[in-house]
Amino acid sequence: MSNDTPIPVTVLTGFLGAGKTTLLNRILSEQHGKKLAVIENEFGEVGVDNQLVIQSDEEIFEMNNGCICCSVRGDLIRILGRLMKRKDKLDGILIETTGLADPGPVAQTFFTDDEMRTRFRLDSIVTLVDAKHVVQHIDSSPEVKKQIGFADVIILNKTDLVTPAELSALEYRVHKMNGAAKLHRTQNAAIDLQHVLNVGGFNLSRATELDPEFLAPDYPFEWAGAYLLPAGAHDLVIGHCDHGHEGHDHAHDHEGHTHHHHGNENELDIVIMPVKSLDEKDLAAAREAAVLVFADWENRVKPGESVTPGGTLHRLLLDHGHGHYPLTIAQPGHYLVFEGCGEEPLHIQVAGENVRPSWQEDYEHHHSHDDEVSSVGISTPGDLDGKRLNDWIGNLLKTKGGDIYRMKGVLAVKGSPNRLVFQGVHMLFDAKFDKPWGASPRTNTLVFIGKNLDRTALNEGFKACLA
Amino acid sequence: MNLAKHWAATLDDYVIDLGWSSDGSLLATASAAGPVSLFAADDGAKTATLPGHDDGTNCLTWHPSQPLLATGGQDGKVKFWDAPSAQHTASAELGGAWVEHLAWRSAGSTAQPSQSLLAAAAGRNLAVFNPDGSTRHAFPPAPKTISALAWQPAGGALAAAYFGGVCLWDADDFVVQKEFAYANGIHALVWSPDNRWLVSGNQDPSVHLWLPEQNDEFHMSGYESKVKELSFDRDSHWLATGGGRDACLWDCTGKGPEGREPTMLPHEAKVCAVAFQHTHGLLATASQDGTLHLWSPERKQPLRATVKMPAPATKLAWSPDDRLLAVGSEKGIVYVLKCEG
Repeated sequence: MSNDTPIPVTVLTGFLGAGKTTLLNRILSEQHGKKLAVIENEFGEVGVDNQLVIQSDEEIFEMNNGCICCSVRGDLIRILGRLMKRKDKLDGILIETTGLADPGPVAQTFFTDDEMRTRFRLDSIVTLVDAKHVVQHIDSSPEVKKQIGFADVIILNKTDLVTPAELSALEYRVHKMNGAAKLHRTQNAAIDLQHVLNVGGFNLSRATELDPEFLAPDYPFEWAGAYLLPAGAHDLVIGHCDHGHEGHDHAHDHEGHTHHHHGNENELDIVIMPVKSLDEKDLAAAREAAVLVFADWENRVKPGESVTPGGTLHRLLLDHGHGHYPLTIAQPGHYLVFEGCGEEPLHIQVAGENVRPSWQEDYEHHHSHDDEVSSVGISTPGDLDGKRLNDWIGNLLKTKGGDIYRMKGVLAVKGSPNRLVFQGVHMLFDAKFDKPWGASPRTNTLVFIGKNLDRTALNEGFKACLA
Repeated sequence: MNLAKHWAATLDDYVIDLGWSSDGSLLATASAAGPVSLFAADDGAKTATLPGHDDGTNCLTWHPSQPLLATGGQDGKVKFWDAPSAQHTASAELGGAWVEHLAWRSAGSTAQPSQSLLAAAAGRNLAVFNPDGSTRHAFPPAPKTISALAWQPAGGALAAAYFGGVCLWDADDFVVQKEFAYANGIHALVWSPDNRWLVSGNQDPSVHLWLPEQNDEFHMSGYESKVKELSFDRDSHWLATGGGRDACLWDCTGKGPEGREPTMLPHEAKVCAVAFQHTHGLLATASQDGTLHLWSPERKQPLRATVKMPAPATKLAWSPDDRLLAVGSEKGIVYVLKCEG
């Protein structure tokens, strides 16, 4: 074979005006000495000399009686086939889609046959988002949602046209829809090209490439802290303390993140769970238990009334954001306090002195948009039963493949010393054994991005595959 | 039997197409980058370099009886060239898309010059041209991009394939004779020399055979990968196909290949070209590892000769007298091999 290594392909999507042409021109003028081919849409206007620019009219081939999962771009098959016919191999291919293009058939084109798989490597799908105008389309446009959902890299462009708060809100929303994509903020599509080209985004090779924060499931609480408490009658204090002690710190990384209080601002939901130790296993068990309690009926507690550890959801009734609640501890030990809204300062006083939490964690919790496009991440240690995994994925794709835009994962399969790396688009699916686990813990990480995903069913289905 | 190097030449890029003039005196070769070179069959002397097409040439084809060459390219044009004078004689436009498929109506049907027609496809557009470059007829656009063209050997019909089917156009009044639905991509079309069979090589991967006269059809699947390579032998007996590590031969005599075991001619790598001789029985097959085999399918030990080339073959073309085999390669080298013994 004269062409051993596959040619990397970058797909640029985004609405008209999002900045695709600007980015393309930037790539072409900055990538001197590299031979790139650009396949641009029929309205394309890339104008850089000495580069191979091919215009293409979108032509959808429905390989299997109109099944969307089996739709591919016939024009791309043809053009890519012609681009293989060169003595000197191309360094890369850029595909610019029209503003309304569905990225699905573009991505599926690279699964069409073995020739496509061996000659080309879909490096990443890069979606440009017009930070100013996307809010006008995002609710009404399935195309925008798909373009965000399919992306490996999302560039929020034209950030100079929006306020920091608007940008953070958009970023948060986009991240919720597609937690696996790398997000970048730009003006004039000015981005270091290492974030766009050869990023290896499509083929997930390391579990660490997934954003661990994203992988946290959606909890009904926003903050939890662990306190080591002696037996006795203590005090749970909500609101700023009179004597200026530091409470727990809610470190919100998103600058300008607008945290509006949800529900009644003079109510705060609290669950206090005993926990054996601060080992991750015990913490996780307490967290799971708290999730159930949060789903329970609330017990309304007026200031001055006492709260107890265990399976009770306390709804603290605050007085202008303040309240003191006696907390009686029978058994000394570690206690986890789960707080429904992480914005409320919370203190536990033992003999009038604040106890510092020995451990704490923030849980992102969204109240703003319930986009139908979302991502579900699963991260579970342990080995999987190969056959059950195969059956589960097979059945899942058969029944839900139309709604699943993308999936990626790194899995530990019982009996194999190597990581199983997989990725898919709709029903098309590619899995191969990658490098050995070696000393690193055998942990399964996978993410689904799509429409109307059932987080609970996906989690349960996956856990049932554990050996 | 031996395959000996007769001569070789180097082009500036991937050899995207090549073909012998009707009298066998010239070999035309097109590089993917654009230039078209003409070589003397006897000694490999380059007799002309034609500029070909801006942005690249895709295909070429010789007139069945005159030294007239037609080429198609990424500039959306069909160009006509007079070989002896190396002059560009005419250009025709086909709507802007790449011209990817050209086919002259075959010699048997062109006793009268007025019967001489070049079919060309670019995108969904299909047209037939006179040798002077004027348009004889422009067909209504196909439902999808045209992916293969083949004249019926008797010259009565032109088959044009696209994703979704094959249309048979009447060669005289340009109306639809027949339409065959096929719900997948088609990469290649070939007719059997006796006009009985029309065969497509498909994406799914399979070959599909139609008997247009009998309104009958057969489907042969089980290939490793898409089938882009098709060739019929002179007797319409064997259909050679690629689509995997073996060249696969179907016996098309009588009722056809259904229910018959194909003959498998093994290669070490994926087969990338197959070509039967015009009037003799040898089959040349090439694979991605640069190997070229010659076979006599009817023999018990069918393998007759093997040549190993440094780069995979892109195209194979037997000279009209079947003495010379021209091989284009991915690295731009053109080999002309002589069949001896």
